[in-house]
Amino acid sequence: MALLQALVDGLLIGGVYAVISLGLTLVFGVMGIVNFAHAQFVMIGMYVAWFAWATLGLDPLLASPLAFAAAFVLAAAIERLMIRRVMRAPPVAQVFLTVGLLIALENVALIVFGSDFRSVRTTYQTAALRLGPLFLSVPYLAAFALSAASAAALWLFLQRTWYGRAMRATAQDRMAAALFGIDPERMYQLAFALGAGLTAFGGAVILPYITVSPSVGGQFVVLMFTVVVLGGLGDVGGALVGGLVAGVIQSVSTVFFPIQLQNLVLFVVFVAVLAFRPQGLLRGVA
Amino acid sequence: MAQAPGENVSGARGRRGFLRGLAIVAALPLVTGTARGAEPPPIHVGVIVPLSGANAQFGINSRNGIELVADEINAAGGIKSLGGAKIKLVVADSTSTPTTAATVAQRFITQNEVVAILGAFASSLTIAISEVTERRDIPLLTMSFADQLTERGFKNIFQIVSKGSVLGRAQFDYTLAIAKATGEKIERVAIMYEDTAYGTAQANGLRAAAKAAGVQVVMDEAYPLGITDAAPLINKLRASGAQVAFPVSYLNDSLLIIRAMRQQNLDTPAVGGAAGYVIPDFVKGLGEFAEGVLSISPTNYDNAPEFTERFRKRYGYFMVHEALEHAAAMYCLTQAIEKAASRDPAAIRKALAETNFTTGWAKAMTGGAVKFDGKGLNELAQPVMVQWRGAELVTVWPESLAKGKPVWRKRK
Repeated sequence: MALLQALVDGLLIGGVYAVISLGLTLVFGVMGIVNFAHAQFVMIGMYVAWFAWATLGLDPLLASPLAFAAAFVLAAAIERLMIRRVMRAPPVAQVFLTVGLLIALENVALIVFGSDFRSVRTTYQTAALRLGPLFLSVPYLAAFALSAASAAALWLFLQRTWYGRAMRATAQDRMAAALFGIDPERMYQLAFALGAGLTAFGGAVILPYITVSPSVGGQFVVLMFTVVVLGGLGDVGGALVGGLVAGVIQSVSTVFFPIQLQNLVLFVVFVAVLAFRPQGLLRGVA
Repeated sequence: MAQAPGENVSGARGRRGFLRGLAIVAALPLVTGTARGAEPPPIHVGVIVPLSGANAQFGINSRNGIELVADEINAAGGIKSLGGAKIKLVVADSTSTPTTAATVAQRFITQNEVVAILGAFASSLTIAISEVTERRDIPLLTMSFADQLTERGFKNIFQIVSKGSVLGRAQFDYTLAIAKATGEKIERVAIMYEDTAYGTAQANGLRAAAKAAGVQVVMDEAYPLGITDAAPLINKLRASGAQVAFPVSYLNDSLLIIRAMRQQNLDTPAVGGAAGYVIPDFVKGLGEFAEGVLSISPTNYDNAPEFTERFRKRYGYFMVHEALEHAAAMYCLTQAIEKAASRDPAAIRKALAETNFTTGWAKAMTGGAVKFDGKGLNELAQPVMVQWRGAELVTVWPESLAKGKPVWRKRK
């Protein structure tokens, strides 16, 4: 029973891991850039939602599109001003830039917001649905549902819209896409902004159960990379599976091992995947 | 970092007053031929607390408490035995790194000529500073808990609160006493703690107390400080059948734990281990769900509202324990300087060690006074159990200090 409960908790948490990691994998898949600063958009999304709650009284779940929009605009500007300059630079320069951005964003947040932990209060925060002997935490459930919805929206966007197809075309072959009249720079900007927006969205939906502080991104950065690598770098569907797998591993491991080891177990799996299936869990299966 | 580890001189008045004093000193001989009436140079007191990083809020609270007392003393005419010399605080950020804290202490002593140092909230930082102050014979006043501080035979350290092991034991013993008073015999307890120095040390105290009392620890679980999901902890707590839970956490983890407990409708009383459980952010984050949560605390503001309300009036929130203890430490220091009638750190140290502080802010401490023993530990300090009532913390145990009756569990 404990196992079943852990499985359910893990799936719910994993859904959120999936959506915050989707953004990272999208950016890598389309642009080929590993954005170390990406986890900071979780923090930005959380702050946007927090301020929407504190000033407008808006529930973080309702404010999540706002978080998406704010991060989208900010990321589009960052792409235009900084990332674009290193697109053709050696990977080392890209690493320097994004790591620098990571540090800069965190410290700007520290100056602007201070180092307090901020938390919202909502009515459903301490509610849980009972399903026989199982508890389904309402905030987890809500975060999961919204994450699933946003993942579905991304999928529709990539499959059904012209922009989505153009983005995928750019990812496959920049030159060929350009020859077909697609502006690759614009696609890169769109991908970067979209990725950041999705991650910020994920940040907003977890605010009901996690407090925000300028260093909150640090709690997710390694996790995000794990999820993305589990799923195969740049593979959107893979990130979904990777997120769920990571959540379940973390949660189920606590049934058998001390809680302190939950990340160790996850990373052991991570290393094993790197060693035996470096292409990701999904790729080459279908 | 929001603030580079550099000093910031508190209050423009200090330096300007000093310059004005100098100007007067320079001008007076022309007029009267004497320097009488000039303000004596200020007395520098070093304050090293974390002002950036994860513990910044605690550092800011501490600084607020110290500033309040320094301003009160200055407004009342400064140190009278030194001709009304004003206290000037030299404040620096310790960050969260012990080496930085030690470097700042070193610089304070050599460049700022501080007569004493206060700080640094976190035990690991205070330990680093204490090595510098001991070497240079500068008194260090602290409200850090670690037992180690006063157990190394240092002459220059003054710990104004009970030791960590005493706090851990009190957390356990008071809880059993409260449960007993309401007719419940505790046989099974759960301990969960964040796995850095503070949580681990206090968990040791809890474990030892449980063993001494013959109580079974049915859950003993460490978790990483950056935990984002408390559900596994609470699943284990529910399965363990514990009658009471002792979570030792900072803020973020304390909110996660209490929320997860409420979600699963657990009415197991939670008795926190200070830190995250006794600050206004706790009730801000939890609202009505904070109601009734107990915690151990080295002091509480309702012990001396005539003092602590001054803090609330100036800063707009209740006087958290680290602010209260730092204020008391600052007050004792000024009284020691007054008594020593000297700027010599050795004379001040002697006065600190010998005086029984029974006036002013020293009365706000749980013992009603402050007296440092041979090791530098405040022998009158006594932890209290506090409980959330609305947005306030009420002292509920021991009975001699209680301001309200403890509420155990609400049976449905």
